[in-house]
Amino acid sequence: MTYQFKETLLYVENLSVAYDDTVIIKDISLTEKDVVRTAKENTGQIIAFVGRSGRGKSTFFKALTGLVQPNTGKILIKDFASQEANAAKPVKEGDIGFVDQKYTLFRHKTVYQTLKFALRKTTISETEKEAKIKEYTNKWGLDKCIDKYPNELSGGQRQRTAIIEQLFSSDKFIVMDEPFSGLDVGNIEEVKKSFDLLSDMSEFNTVLFSTHDIELAIELAQVIYVIGYPTINGEKKNYGTIVAKYDLREMELAWKDHCEDHIKLYKEITHQMMIS
Amino acid sequence: MILLGWVALLLLFWFVGTSSVKHLFPSPQQVLQGFGDLYNEGLVVHIFNSLQLCFLSIFMAVVISMLFAYTWPIPLLKPVSEFVTKFRFLPFTGLSFYITLVVHEARNMQIWIMVIFLTTFLTTSLIAIIKDIPQEEFDHAKTLKCSRFEILWQVIILGRIDYVIDVIRQNLAITWMMLVTVESIVVASGGLGFLIKNSDKFMNHGRIIALQIIILLIGLTLDWAINFLRKAVFRYSKI
Ligand SMILES: Nc1ncnc2c1ncn2[C@@H]1O[C@H](COP(=O)(O)OP(=O)(O)O)[C@@H](O)[C@H]1O
Ligand SMILES: [Mg+2]
Repeated sequence: MTYQFKETLLYVENLSVAYDDTVIIKDISLTEKDVVRTAKENTGQIIAFVGRSGRGKSTFFKALTGLVQPNTGKILIKDFASQEANAAKPVKEGDIGFVDQKYTLFRHKTVYQTLKFALRKTTISETEKEAKIKEYTNKWGLDKCIDKYPNELSGGQRQRTAIIEQLFSSDKFIVMDEPFSGLDVGNIEEVKKSFDLLSDMSEFNTVLFSTHDIELAIELAQVIYVIGYPTINGEKKNYGTIVAKYDLREMELAWKDHCEDHIKLYKEITHQMMIS
Repeated sequence: MILLGWVALLLLFWFVGTSSVKHLFPSPQQVLQGFGDLYNEGLVVHIFNSLQLCFLSIFMAVVISMLFAYTWPIPLLKPVSEFVTKFRFLPFTGLSFYITLVVHEARNMQIWIMVIFLTTFLTTSLIAIIKDIPQEEFDHAKTLKCSRFEILWQVIILGRIDYVIDVIRQNLAITWMMLVTVESIVVASGGLGFLIKNSDKFMNHGRIIALQIIILLIGLTLDWAINFLRKAVFRYSKI
């Protein structure tokens, strides 16, 4: 399938985070570009982070979303407000949407109130806000729960509300920490559908998610990063970093049905996770 | 059903146990008599008096405690709030002694004693609520570009208002018990504590038991009413 890399959307250089004096993640650098395909109008980017637990995936995500201050390094994202082609800006709290493992929402706001709140800083008019909320809740199958509180929603509904909320208040980027953990088969299908929706909505939409389900990562993502403890000069360190990267587009494995090569990749990623 | 059975058994025990001539516990007839006497003495007014004191002091204490609790996250003011919570170990009588020196009118004295005591308890409970808010809720607010003030308002105040109601309910038992005590120590124009004190003097057992029953029932009703209110007003509230 033909595709093209366009401008850079996310640029991370030399990122490290330490809690007190303990280095949790270090030397993380990556670049993600906008991708366009001839076959489709919009192709968002879906990027997976896999790794054993405690290797710093959540910590990396918190740094990306500005919730923890990195000790070194920089994180730049495309500046959508600027007219210039390659304008970038350092990431601030709230620029990148974050859906945590528990799909935290305001417990005292209904779905409608939640989405209204998420739109409070946008410049569109009241009627446009109403229309936007209506459009999204319809498309995401939340039209029946618009007046429900989080404790009255199912896990899947909560997660989708959290995704739309973040979409409304941030710029095209959504980070999801373990969106599949603790879900049954049916729910997993629903989250997959959410990924498709996000991906089809805008070419700039970029989803970064973590999981320890390698199969799901291969099925959904176009790029897979393995976060683990690196081995440098024969010595295993105890901070997390990117130990391997697989670009499924370059390997011609992206946007494709499951095949022999996917199984090979699965084994390769499993191996990388085991040794880090 | 089970509950009703137990109540019936208890009543039966009471009737049988007090049917002889000499007994420590008053018989149902005496208690009934007590109810009648109390009613004639203006029981309703006394109840109203106590409830008024109760609500007034709770209201004032809640306002003051909220101020302490909501400023607790601010590093500079944290010690002040924590200092306040320590006062709940202060002995009651010592405090009332000093209040008598400052405040002279009995009714005001009652209110001040109640407010000071309740504030220490309520502040403690409210701070516990704020401490229990998980980090994710603060992070969630931050991802929505909330300012510090918005975080305080949305997460701590609005997000926990139903807990505040529940704290009031939980502290109500202490309040109610203390109220009757305060009313009987600092004797003012009326109130249930005043009635108990009076009955005490005449060794009128029937009346005392009747009063106890009334006080218990009002306490339980208040507890139930607040809980009902919380659930009715805050649909999201599932504590
Ligand atoms: N707030 C914190 N303070 C200190 N250490 C932390 C904190 N959060 C996470 N850690 C530590 O950082 C390491 C990585 O955790 P985390 O990022 O949650 O990993 P993962 O998401 O890959 O399972 C763990 O060893 C964890 O104990
Ligand atoms: Mg994690």
